[in-house]
Formats: sequence, C-alpha cells, structure tokens
Amino acid sequence: MNATFNNRDPVYLQVVRYFKEQIANGNLVAGQEIPSRRELAATMKINPNTAQKAYKEMEEQDLITTERNYPSKITKNENILQSVREELIITAVESFLQSIRPINVPIDELLRIVQEKYSKESSKEGL
Amino acid sequence: MIEVNQLTKKFGRKKVLDGVSFTANKGEITCLIGINGVGKTTTLKAIMGLTSFSKGSILIDGQKINKNMYEKVAFIPDAITMLPQMTIKQAMQFMQDFYQNWNQERATELLTFFKLDEKSRISELSKGNTAKINLLMGLAIDVDYILMDEPFSGIDIFSREQIADVFASHLIEDRGVIITTHEINDIEHLIDKVILLDNGIVLKEFNTEQMRQEEGKSVVDVMREVYQG
Amino acid sequence: MKSYVKLVNFEVNRFIKIYVSLLIITLLSQFIGVIVISTGLMKRAHEVMFEQNLSEKAYLHQFGGFDFTHISSTPWFIGPIALCIAALIFYSFLIWYRDWFGKNTFAYRLLMLPTARISLYFSKATAILVLIFGLLAFQMILLPLENALFESLIQENFLQTSMDVSSILQSNGILGIIIPPYFSDFLISYGIGIMFVFVLFTSILFERSFRLKGIVLGILYFIAAVLLYLSPLFIIGNETMPVLYPEEIFAIFLVLGIFIIGVSIIIGNWLISKRVLV
Repeated sequence: MNATFNNRDPVYLQVVRYFKEQIANGNLVAGQEIPSRRELAATMKINPNTAQKAYKEMEEQDLITTERNYPSKITKNENILQSVREELIITAVESFLQSIRPINVPIDELLRIVQEKYSKESSKEGL
Repeated sequence: MIEVNQLTKKFGRKKVLDGVSFTANKGEITCLIGINGVGKTTTLKAIMGLTSFSKGSILIDGQKINKNMYEKVAFIPDAITMLPQMTIKQAMQFMQDFYQNWNQERATELLTFFKLDEKSRISELSKGNTAKINLLMGLAIDVDYILMDEPFSGIDIFSREQIADVFASHLIEDRGVIITTHEINDIEHLIDKVILLDNGIVLKEFNTEQMRQEEGKSVVDVMREVYQG
Repeated sequence: MKSYVKLVNFEVNRFIKIYVSLLIITLLSQFIGVIVISTGLMKRAHEVMFEQNLSEKAYLHQFGGFDFTHISSTPWFIGPIALCIAALIFYSFLIWYRDWFGKNTFAYRLLMLPTARISLYFSKATAILVLIFGLLAFQMILLPLENALFESLIQENFLQTSMDVSSILQSNGILGIIIPPYFSDFLISYGIGIMFVFVLFTSILFERSFRLKGIVLGILYFIAAVLLYLSPLFIIGNETMPVLYPEEIFAIFLVLGIFIIGVSIIIGNWLISKRVLV
C-alpha cells in the first residue's frame, strides 16, 4: 500500500480517493477485508486520527461496511462499486479535457493519439 | 488536555513568552512551530516544571505539574538524558527502577522498531540513535502526553523517517503529543494541529485537515502567509 | 522514600571507582609509609649507635625511643588523608555539576523523576556523607593494623610507648580533628561537616537557579551562614557578656548548627522544586 499525498488537500480525502482507485483497478474487490485503522496509519504513514476519519467517510459513502468487532470490508453492493469506477473515470477524463481544450485539437486526432499512447503505455507496463 | 494559559516568561528584560495560550488534546499531535527564538523549548520546559514563569498557568488534565505528573507526561529534550557510560540496557533498568509506569515490553518493542542493540553504550550512539533512545525512554513510560523538543533537528534522513513512522504507529496509541520544530517537512501529514509562534506570541492556531479542507492550504502555505506577511 | 534509597545507592555507585582508588591509595601509602619509616628509623638508630659507639641503653637515654607519632605526622600518612578530603570537597561540587555539564544532560532525567525533588538534594547530601564516613571507618580499621605493623618493625627496646588508637588520635592535631577521640568532639567536627555540605549544596542550587546572579547569591548565602555560625565567638569575646559554661557554648553552637541546616534545606527545597534550570 503506497500512496503519495499532496499537502493542500485533506489527507483523509486523499486516502478515500486511494481506496477508490484500488477498487476501480480491481486490487480491492467486493467483500474484501481491509486493514485496521492502525495498520493503515502505520503503512501509509499518516496520523491514526486521519485514518479513522477516512474510514468514517468511506462508511458514509457506503464504500466499506464495518460490523462490530470485525475488520472493515469493501462493500458487496455492485452498484456502488460500479459507480466508484465510473466516478473516477469521469473525473479523470474531465480534468484531462480541461487541460487539452485550450489546445483545440480536432477530436479524431485526439482520440488517435490517446489510443496510441494508452496502448503503448499499457504494453510497457506489461499489461 | 494540556492547557497553557497566558504564559509569560522573561529572561532579564526580554520577554521570551508574552501571553502564550493554547491547548493540546489527548489523541492528537500538536506542533509548535517557530522560525526563531527560544519560545518553543521554554514552553515545553514550563509545562514540565523545568523552568519558572512570571505569569500565566499551565494545567494538565486540570492539574498543575507535580511529581506524580512525571508518570503521566514525558518530555524528550534535544539532548540525551542518560549517562554516557550507561548501556541502553542499564538506562532502561534505571527507568524501570524509578517509574511505576515503565513498560518494558514496549521498550523492547521500540528497540526492535528502531533496530537498536541494548548492549550499545549511550556515549557511542549517533545523533540519530540518540534521538531514538530519547524517544524510547519517553514512549516506554505509559504516559498520556509526550512533549518532544526538535526531534528531527540535526539527524539523518532515515532516523527522521523512523521517528516519523512512530507517530503513525500504535506506539503512540491515543496519547497526546506536542512537538516543537522549525521545519515540518517530515511530519506535515501527521500533525493534527499547528501553533505558530513568533517573538513569544501565538500568531495562529489551526487544525491542519480543516485548513486543507476549508482553505485548500498546506501548513507551509499558512506559515508563509503568517511569517512573511 | 524508596526512590531516595535508590538515588543514594545510585549516587554512591557513580563515585565508587574513584572512591575505591582513594581507599587503595590510602592503604598503600600508609602501609608503605609505616614500613619505609620504621625500617628507616631503626637503620638510622643503628648508624648513630655505630658512629658514636653507643650502647642501646645509652642511645635510648640520649635520643629516646620511637612511637607511632613518628609515622602519623609524615606525608606518607597525612598525604592520602588530605587527598581524600580534597577529593570529597571537589566531589561535593561535581555531584551537582556533572549532571548539568557535557553533552548528556542527566539533570533533565533527575528532575523529571516521579519523586519529590528534595529527594535529589537529600540523596546527594547523603551520598557525600556516606562517602565521608566510609573513609573514616576505613581509617579506623587501618590505624590499629598500621600500629601493629609499626610495633612489629621496631625492636622492642626502641619502642618508647606502645600507643593505643585513641592516644594516637590525641597525639596528632590534624588526625584529632578528622577522627576526634571524644564523642562530643566527634559531634562538633561532623556536625560542622554536615552543615558545610548543606550550606554548600544550597549555595550551588542558587547558582543553578539564577546562574550569574546566582553565583553572587550563593556566595553571599555561604558567607552569611558562616558568619551566623561564628557569631557566638564575637559575643563570647565581649567582656560585657556573662561568662558561659562549656555546655552552654556547646548548646548555642548546636542550636545554631541545626538552625542553619534547617534553613539550608528549606531554601534548597524551594530552589530545586521551583527555581532550578536545566
């Protein structure tokens, strides 16, 4: 579990985002146990209070479920998991569009470049 | 909760602390930051009853400092507090002899955590390992509060990382921590609360996560605003 | 109380290596002294007898015999005692300052022990006194042994008087102060010694609390205590005052001594609890 944090966004939200990414890319799956708050704080090198706050946030967003005296688990609700993935894709695309729009590239060219780059990057990573 | 109220301290005619007030909660890491001056260390010493002050009051969970408080609050100064000729083992024995709340199990765990050998002599430790031993002596007492004076100053990067890791670990548990520092790079993610001191007064006190959420500012951003205007 | 005992033990242990060295130096110096001087005395006596062609009886008649005062006034004997006294006076300072100076500030640890701070003051004072009385006891054990060795090295006829320990002590001014043969003298010597330790400790704490200003305060405190203690001497010397019995003079010094020790402890307690700096 390795994440780098920026100093200007609340750390607990960055932790939540990290979990969403792990769900989206399939590293975390429905019903999977996640580390305790203490373990998370220690591995991510954050304040245990922050880990606590991140878990609370994820519980409120129904990303994880916690039963008394059991480790927290990723939700089994496929709708939520699906929406996490969509949400991440959409926000990423939106921020991409925001930076590309001023350059005014025709959509066909843009898509071609994206396709080339994306598959090249993926093959480099051995995917 | 540690409550510092209107703390005022003079050295000769110069006011080192001029009405400093803040609180530090249990279960939180509070960071006293000052660009210059001796106010930070003096504040910690005043809390520990290691220096007198001319005005103000300090309460720890509602009580003034007394001998029993030393089982409840540990101070980790910027200098080693054990005799140079002692081995780490002897130093731990000394602590065990005098502190009822000494927790040898945790001391051993910390030794492993810091990769230190109990047979080493205090005088042979590097600056970084000295800081770790200091921290060990404080953390291995079952105290509620830990005050650390410049734990990161003048030590190597790996020791700094290890010390910062302690703050994220169960070794701190739900104790209250006050750290003084003049640079916060190593611990920016770890601290709950920041108190900016300058020339003996508190310029600003804020909660780090709240500051990020509400104003989108990092601790360094706020420091820049406050200290550089 | 438990912490106090542990602290005394700790403080004594911190000095133990130097202390044992002092004991060994004393032992060696005094025994070697006895051997060297006794054999020297006998050799010299025989030389004189030979040169002047004297019989034993004539020699003894002319020059007299030998006794232990020939030993107890020599540097072999007095030297190590003086060294021990100097070392302990020096250590009375060092027992405080060693915790403040150097890279390691042990004073932090001591002042943050979960025990009343006056225990530190008492433990250091007790340690000094234990060390002093230890030396004293050691000397008391050595003396009869040295005396026996001396008497065995001197030919019987030359032994002027066989002395016992108490007459040895009475015969030598310095030794008589260090180990007074009478109990009342003993009380006075060591009462003053104990008072000295407390007054000195409180003076040191003045310095440790107020630093530069504290040096002045400490010295003034020390002088004031000495003057107060000696004040009866000025009064006794005054002819208008009634003549006092020795018992009355003793009582006055006793009361003054206890008073000065009490005041020193009260001020010392205030300084170490509220004022001392690290």
